[in-house]
Amino acid sequence: MARDDHPERGPVASGAAFFDMDGEVGRDLAAVDWGATPLGPPEGWPQSLRTAVSILLSSRFSMWMAWGPQLTFFCNAAYRRDTLGRKYPWALGRSAREVWAEIWDDIGPRIDAVLATGKATWDEALLLFLERAGYPEETYHTFSYSPLRDDDGSVVGMLCVVSEDTDRVIGERRMATLRDLGSDPRAVRTELEMLAFACRQLGLNPRDLPFTLTYLFDDDGLARLVGVTGIPAGHPAVSAVESPGDPDALWPVAALARGEPALVPLDGARFADLPTGIWPEPPLRALVAPLLRQGEGPYGFVVAALNRYRPFDDGYRGFIELAAGHVAAGISAARSYQAQQRRAEELAELDRAKTVFFSNISHEFRTPLTLITGPLQELRNTLADAGPQVRQDLEVVHRNALRLGKLVNTLLDFSRIEASRMQARYEPVDLAAVTAELASVFHSAIDKAGLTFDVDCPPLAEPVHVDRSMWEKVILNLLSNALKFTFDGSIGVRVRGEDTHAVVTVTDTGIGIPAEELPRLFERFHRIETARSRSNEGSGIGLALVQELVGLHGGTITADSAERAGTTFTIRLPFGSAHLAADSLVPARAAEAVSATADPFVQEALRWLPGDDSAVEGSAADLSAGPSRPAPGGGAPIRVLIADDNRDMREYLARLLEGAGYQVSAVADGLQALDAVRAAMPDLVISDVMMPHLDGLALVSALRSDPQTAGVPVLLLSARAGQEASIEGLAAGADDYLVKPFTAAELLARARANVELARMRNHHNRWRNAMIDSLQEGFFVADENGAVIEINAAFADILGYASEGLPYAPEHPWWPDESADPQAHAMVAQAFTQLVELGRGSSVIPVEHREGHRVWIAITFNPVTDPDSGRRRVVGTIRDVTAEHYLVQRESALAALTMRLSQADDPPHALAAGLEVLQEVWHARQVVAAIWTGDTPSELVSSPPGGTRPETREKLTALRQQPPLRPYASETDGAGITLEHPDGLLTVWVDLGEDRPFTNEDQTLLALLAGPLGQGLHRVHQLDQQREAAMALQHAILGPSELPDGFAVRYEPAGRPLEVGGDWYDIVPLAGEHVGIVVGDCVGRGLQAAVVMGQLRSACRALLLQDAGPAQVFTALDRFAALIPGARCTTAFCGILDTATGELVYSSAGHPPGILTHADGTTVLLEGGRSTPLAVRPGHPRPEAHCVMPARSTLLLYTDGLVERRRRPLTDGIDAACATVQAGRSALIEDLASDVMAGLTPDGGFNDDVALLLYRQPAPLEVAFPAESGQLAFVRSALRSWLTRCQLAPSLVQNVLVAAGEACANAIEHGHRNAPGETIRLRAVATGSDLHLTVADSGRWKHPEPEANPHRGRGVALMRALMHKVTIHPGVAGTTVDIHARIPR
Amino acid sequence: MTAPLTLVASERHDGTPVLEVAGEIDMSNASALDQALSQTTGRVPVLVDLRAVDYLDSAGLTVLFTHASRIRLVANPLLEPVLTISGLVEVTTVEKIAPDETSPD
Repeated sequence: MARDDHPERGPVASGAAFFDMDGEVGRDLAAVDWGATPLGPPEGWPQSLRTAVSILLSSRFSMWMAWGPQLTFFCNAAYRRDTLGRKYPWALGRSAREVWAEIWDDIGPRIDAVLATGKATWDEALLLFLERAGYPEETYHTFSYSPLRDDDGSVVGMLCVVSEDTDRVIGERRMATLRDLGSDPRAVRTELEMLAFACRQLGLNPRDLPFTLTYLFDDDGLARLVGVTGIPAGHPAVSAVESPGDPDALWPVAALARGEPALVPLDGARFADLPTGIWPEPPLRALVAPLLRQGEGPYGFVVAALNRYRPFDDGYRGFIELAAGHVAAGISAARSYQAQQRRAEELAELDRAKTVFFSNISHEFRTPLTLITGPLQELRNTLADAGPQVRQDLEVVHRNALRLGKLVNTLLDFSRIEASRMQARYEPVDLAAVTAELASVFHSAIDKAGLTFDVDCPPLAEPVHVDRSMWEKVILNLLSNALKFTFDGSIGVRVRGEDTHAVVTVTDTGIGIPAEELPRLFERFHRIETARSRSNEGSGIGLALVQELVGLHGGTITADSAERAGTTFTIRLPFGSAHLAADSLVPARAAEAVSATADPFVQEALRWLPGDDSAVEGSAADLSAGPSRPAPGGGAPIRVLIADDNRDMREYLARLLEGAGYQVSAVADGLQALDAVRAAMPDLVISDVMMPHLDGLALVSALRSDPQTAGVPVLLLSARAGQEASIEGLAAGADDYLVKPFTAAELLARARANVELARMRNHHNRWRNAMIDSLQEGFFVADENGAVIEINAAFADILGYASEGLPYAPEHPWWPDESADPQAHAMVAQAFTQLVELGRGSSVIPVEHREGHRVWIAITFNPVTDPDSGRRRVVGTIRDVTAEHYLVQRESALAALTMRLSQADDPPHALAAGLEVLQEVWHARQVVAAIWTGDTPSELVSSPPGGTRPETREKLTALRQQPPLRPYASETDGAGITLEHPDGLLTVWVDLGEDRPFTNEDQTLLALLAGPLGQGLHRVHQLDQQREAAMALQHAILGPSELPDGFAVRYEPAGRPLEVGGDWYDIVPLAGEHVGIVVGDCVGRGLQAAVVMGQLRSACRALLLQDAGPAQVFTALDRFAALIPGARCTTAFCGILDTATGELVYSSAGHPPGILTHADGTTVLLEGGRSTPLAVRPGHPRPEAHCVMPARSTLLLYTDGLVERRRRPLTDGIDAACATVQAGRSALIEDLASDVMAGLTPDGGFNDDVALLLYRQPAPLEVAFPAESGQLAFVRSALRSWLTRCQLAPSLVQNVLVAAGEACANAIEHGHRNAPGETIRLRAVATGSDLHLTVADSGRWKHPEPEANPHRGRGVALMRALMHKVTIHPGVAGTTVDIHARIPR
Repeated sequence: MTAPLTLVASERHDGTPVLEVAGEIDMSNASALDQALSQTTGRVPVLVDLRAVDYLDSAGLTVLFTHASRIRLVANPLLEPVLTISGLVEVTTVEKIAPDETSPD
């Protein structure tokens, strides 16, 4: 036990000088009877022990040590003070086991471990129940045991460095309980919640509060148990109610009710068997603390059982009283919260009433205000020319109406703020950019005021959450204010970041604010009377609103000012969003243009400035010239649709908007508005909310639900003020919500802003739509069934079917009527099939315009997939190619007509060709024409040829009354036209057939074709005439018209172009039976060649007549031709024929060979006597050739035009000529000439002119004699001679002579009985194989009457018997006998 | 002008009357032939020698038919078709001669 009886001690032994390190403890150590300890007297202690003790004693830090086998205890002064307590100095020199017996179970093993291992231990805040104050005490120690070694290094002890943590641990524990009791006030709403929370917290500290009971006094003064911790509710110590007057009461209720705490020992039966809780033993005492209430009796009390292991000191009492205080405060808070909540509900009720009142009032204010400001605006316009007094008065009214309106709006803002209905939408923005943008709207006004405007807004590093519309009001109010009070110098806006805040300053160098006014600056309705401002307007409410708005952002605003120096407003807004309610945050939106809010501010500010006449004039024109100009870039007028059931309002709005340059249409309700929008998409819809049939909200919903109209911006107007109303409108999809009353400028600004916003918002769609609508081509989208579901304006224009009718299901209404025009219908159907099945293609098809006329469209389409629905779509374009179609039709018809006309040689062919073209162009049933000379029509010409309907004849007749070239169309079946024809008036009828109307285009085309047809007919007619004239000329030159018998000649000018040429033939009768024959070909064409030809021909003829032979003729012509320009290189064939013998002498000057065909078909080319063309080698001798034309042979001379063919050798042509002559050698010579010309004419006519000459040997015999029998012998003689030339068999000669003689005798005897001496003609012609004889008289033969005159009958019989065929042609003018005899081979 | 015609009446040594005709017989001189034949008297038939006639038409044939019963003919081949076709050979005797036989003698 403790040793407190130590008497006076002497100084320590010298051997223990180290004890001197500490005066007190050292003295007590020295006093220990060390000899009785295992350590022995200190003089014998090893150095290591001495050193350890010396360190121990010299340390001010709390330490103890144990040394030696008994673990002899040492400690220093600090340890003595802090820990050892009453065990000092008893403990010194004793075994540590003895000293700390009560905790040896805890520390013994640690010490043993140190001694055994030599490793130090560390324990922090270890709970140790020390009995140092007479009872087991809850203590906490942090200590380290480290080994102590003796001189040889072995562990012989331990040193404990220790600090006691008891106060700290317990203090922290109690603080935690108190802290927790005061925490989370938000979680505590009601008293019950609060008590439950408090108990939870009290229960968490069982060490200091082994158990607690909480009682609250009720209104009767009874204490009712409301909370229990650490003890079962059914324990006898727990009573539900404690009464102040109850003698059995466990707690001193009455005292407690007075607010007096009490320490109650927990003894007695009811406290037996208390729970021990966390401690080994149950508590012994409890402190009962009242729950004090300020100014009144306690709420109740808390019974707090006390920790028996701690002294009940002031700290402990304070802790419990504080805990009770927290509980009381919680109860107070809960009760006041409940009271507040009740009050708040009452206030809310009041506020609702107030809001209703405000809404009603605003309605009452706004509508009349609108109808004051609106007509006033009109009045200002109307009275613009009135006297200045009137205008000034109006201006005053106007200004004050505006003020009133602004005031009402601001008051509404306040009422909303107070009602917490300012439903802000805070979004993160770059405050610098937003602020600079807002500031920029004031630029012009500030410039105009002659002030410098410094906007210094570098980007901030962090976003600031602001509600854009509120922030606009803040900045615009401040700038407006600055401008109002600043007359020179500058206005500045500056944005900076400062740690956690963004700082926005608005500075001016204005008149400043007197220092005494500064504190009241932000008071509502407080106006500072200043000497000078730009305007006396102002409600004194702007800055108050600014302050409220800044406050809503969790920011502050302050003002610094010096009179006559300027004012600076400084706004500080925190970064981040922690200060804002989470549900009011929205993500960052795309930057928007400064909203319409700005305009009224700027407008107002501009009105303050001098020289702004619009402030006085205020005309609509000025409005439209100002910032409200609705059509930026001078584009098309912006179309606005107004829907309002109030006629005054409708008209007012219309006037207002029209005055500002909008194109306005107005309707009286939502249904009409819907129809109007669908009919023609406006750029903006301004609609009242309250309307009959379909109100504004429903209108917005309807518009939004239709993709076609979803994009149209809608501005709702309402007299219903308040956020809910506008939110309702915006929620329905309105773009903006304007509350009545509004100023004209505000409406115009909103209108403009919404149009622009919508344009931006719908940029893509609008761009697409604008692009599509701007297409000149019609555009459409069709679904997979071919129904047209979208079209553009051009499409509607082209077909007349507008977008209102969408969708257009197939068959689309523009399909041509199948029965009326099956061909067109089929074309469209084919294109449609392609559209549906392939989705890709293009074609040109005829369709019906809505108005009924035919439109040709070029349609092109391609498949696409709708990105939204994934469905197949076909997009296509159509182009009106009607004009092109008809143009092409006309041009091709014209070309066809021109081509066909050019091929026609004469007017009949030309007309036929023209009618054919007309028939083909219209696929007409028939095209019929008549040429009228006088009232008589020519024979009808038609295409296709054939019978003509009687109606058509009538129409042709009637057409004569029409002016020329003016189409006359029938309603049903065709059209006609009249034109000039060379032979008279030509009427043409195009008979289309059953019920095919003749359209305007058809009429145009008909007129267009009739012109060229008429011209063509005239041209062909002229050509024909020219051709005839040319032929006549040529033949006149070529003469003679009477050819010697046996010859046939032809001249044919080149077919095209019609031109006379240089070819000629000539037959020159010479002496005896000689005939000169010439065929020549001068180079060139036209008149020049004709002249040369004429000269050569004359020269040649003259030479022949001088008995020159062919060679001589050409020799002379060589010289002659050399003198005549253009005569050189003329080719010619010249021969002298003895017709009696058939001998032919000839020469050829480069001419194609003559063709001689014998009676048996043998053909010989006269190729001898050939030399160069004329004048090529003058003086060079000319050769001659001889040949004999056998009887009945045929000679053909010709120019090269007859036989020349392009790209074919000349011999081909010559062979063809030979063949023709050969085949025709039995034909009469004249017929043969025609055959040769016809047979050798190439398609399209001769390219060159052609001359040919045919002769058959012998020439026919022609004898004329008087009808006297005596002439017969002479005739017979002549005939015999000719027949001899024909080289016939004598028997045939005889037979012919007899037959001819009989015919002549008949003619003499019977034909001219009554008129003897009349001439009888005998003609005999030989061909290759036949003889033809003709005997013609002028009388009339008797019929043969054999009985009466047997020998005459015998004559005719003879003729028939002798000859192949005898034909007697009796006639009025005489009788002709044709005798035909075949010449046997 | 009439056709050249020579009519020479003679008698052969056997007393047969002979009429030699030379030239052409047509309607202009057929009457002369008729007259000459009519003037022949005595024995019949009269031998009409047509060997020198190179033309005989229906007018001459008619004359010969008229006298057919009392004449015989001698003709060159040139006249044969006419005599045959007319049927004269059926009503009188025609002595044909070779073309080169100029005289019946």
